[in-house]
Amino acid sequence: MAAGVCHGLPWGGGLISFVCVNDPPTVSTQDLPGEVGLVEARDFVRRKPFLCASGDVLPEITLRYETYGHLNRAKDNAILIGHALSGDHHCAGIHRMTDRKSGWWNNMIGPGKPIDTERFFVICSNVLGGCMGSTGPRSTDPRTGEAYGLDFPIISIRDMVDAQYALITEELGLPVLHAVVGGSMGGMQALEWGRAYPDFVRRLLPMATTARQSAQAIAFNEVGRIAITQDPRWNGGRYDPQRGPDVGLAVARMMAHITYLSDQGMEVKFGRERVAGSTARTLFDPEFEVESYLRYQGRSFINRFDATSYLYITKAIDRFDLYGPEGQLEESLRPVTARVLAVGFSSDWLFPPSHNRAIVHALLRCGRDASYAEVKSDLGHDSFLVHSPELYALVSDFLAP
Amino acid sequence: MQRQHVKRETDLQIISTWVEEGQRVLDLGCGRGVLLEHLAQSKAVYGVGVDLDLGKAQACIRRGVNVYQGDALSLMKIYPDRAFDWVILSRTVQELEAPRAVFDEALRVGCRVAVGFVNFGYWKNRLSLLWRGALPRNEVFPLHWEEGSSGNSVAVRTFESFCERNGIRMERTVYLRGDWQRRCRFGAGFRAGYALYALSRATEATPALAADPPMPSTSHR
Repeated sequence: MAAGVCHGLPWGGGLISFVCVNDPPTVSTQDLPGEVGLVEARDFVRRKPFLCASGDVLPEITLRYETYGHLNRAKDNAILIGHALSGDHHCAGIHRMTDRKSGWWNNMIGPGKPIDTERFFVICSNVLGGCMGSTGPRSTDPRTGEAYGLDFPIISIRDMVDAQYALITEELGLPVLHAVVGGSMGGMQALEWGRAYPDFVRRLLPMATTARQSAQAIAFNEVGRIAITQDPRWNGGRYDPQRGPDVGLAVARMMAHITYLSDQGMEVKFGRERVAGSTARTLFDPEFEVESYLRYQGRSFINRFDATSYLYITKAIDRFDLYGPEGQLEESLRPVTARVLAVGFSSDWLFPPSHNRAIVHALLRCGRDASYAEVKSDLGHDSFLVHSPELYALVSDFLAP
Repeated sequence: MQRQHVKRETDLQIISTWVEEGQRVLDLGCGRGVLLEHLAQSKAVYGVGVDLDLGKAQACIRRGVNVYQGDALSLMKIYPDRAFDWVILSRTVQELEAPRAVFDEALRVGCRVAVGFVNFGYWKNRLSLLWRGALPRNEVFPLHWEEGSSGNSVAVRTFESFCERNGIRMERTVYLRGDWQRRCRFGAGFRAGYALYALSRATEATPALAADPPMPSTSHR
């Protein structure tokens, strides 16, 4: 890595200082993928009213975000990452040397990785309505001094994108985005970017996503929401964050997690394996590995996620419908001028290949530059998050200038 | 020159002279997108390729060529009539499971269809079966049976009979000899190793093609 990178931009992120205080690496890192290393989150505080698509107004918003890599002179090498329902702004690197886990897309983003931070300036923010530092239902309403709770406006994918647009233009001062990339709800954001700000974004890479939430996907979200609102500690949304509707939220997460996997993937990963040294004394203690795994997923989720945010974000996903009342996806996607690659995953039954294909069908019918590729994988919806050389090749080739 | 390159060049050279500046082209079985990339660079066409194979789709994406990884028939179904100026099947017909359905759709979504295929009726193939009782293996069919992909091979006579029976107009025909380079002037059913056609629906008022452009100079290679 060249020494010149030290003269980074003020928002260059913690990596830069981390790299610069050390001697240059003796082994060339050109060929081997590296790590973005230590990173830190920043807050974009926008002290003016934010108008939601619903017509509601938030008096001010904060977006927590991270960036990796460096902006070039022309300021045209920025890539925005959209995160999924339970994701956040921390998609690569680590916050502390003691962190055991790195950002959620660390396999995809970094020096020499498919989204190459040696070439691109990568941005990811926690969505509006989230609970990882951006303004959401747990944030304090400056007008009342109390948490918004259910007074938080119903937000949409479009609102998330508009907030990102404010971050990118007002805080980072960028004139253009090289690409918007995201899976699942992040893919919805990519599509929304392409039609809301067509002149601003050159490439869109939605994956494992849909232009319209299906009845089945809405159904799963609804069961999750009912689990939360029927938890006695829900209390109409007025709960102490330390004593929230944890059981309901954990059940919602456990069920949702099943939709992110696949029959075959679970068979391979768990089969009918029993919990090692199980001390199960009753019939309903965890007996199978898969039960234990789901309980762990539920438990760890309640430590990092807010139940009201979960309700709001799943509602934003459920209402996402680019087909519109006329059922014409072309009409929604006609404004898109960016080059598009949609990627589907063979075993994804939450947002199946056909949904990703339909996006490309509509764009092609409009005469746009669009491609569709399908990656074979047994790991269901979460396939976009795991190691996949085929996906890596698609991403790096599509993003190449 | 490598034989694969000769094959690729032949189609590319001839079909490129047929396609006009800025036209809309759908390439069925586009492979790695070489033809569409060439047409985009030389003729500024709007191109879309279709291929079943992920590796090939990825190669198209690397070239900046639009590609739809999937089934050609299902992709054509999304398009209105005459959405493309050209639909191209370059060395694709032998892979088709339902050629009639594909040609019906191709002639619907395309004003014209360009087809190029290896002639199974080539004289060496005939001799091979006659004398050796074995499937042909020669310069036109260089692969062993177990490696080959000529699942639904077609001969010049068969294809032209198909066109005649189905009201498909053969606007242009180019026959090449076994070396895939020199023109074959007579006895094409027997002597041609490769055949190219520009097709349209006889019933539709497609404006006539301009005079046949001069043959590219592949014969000098």
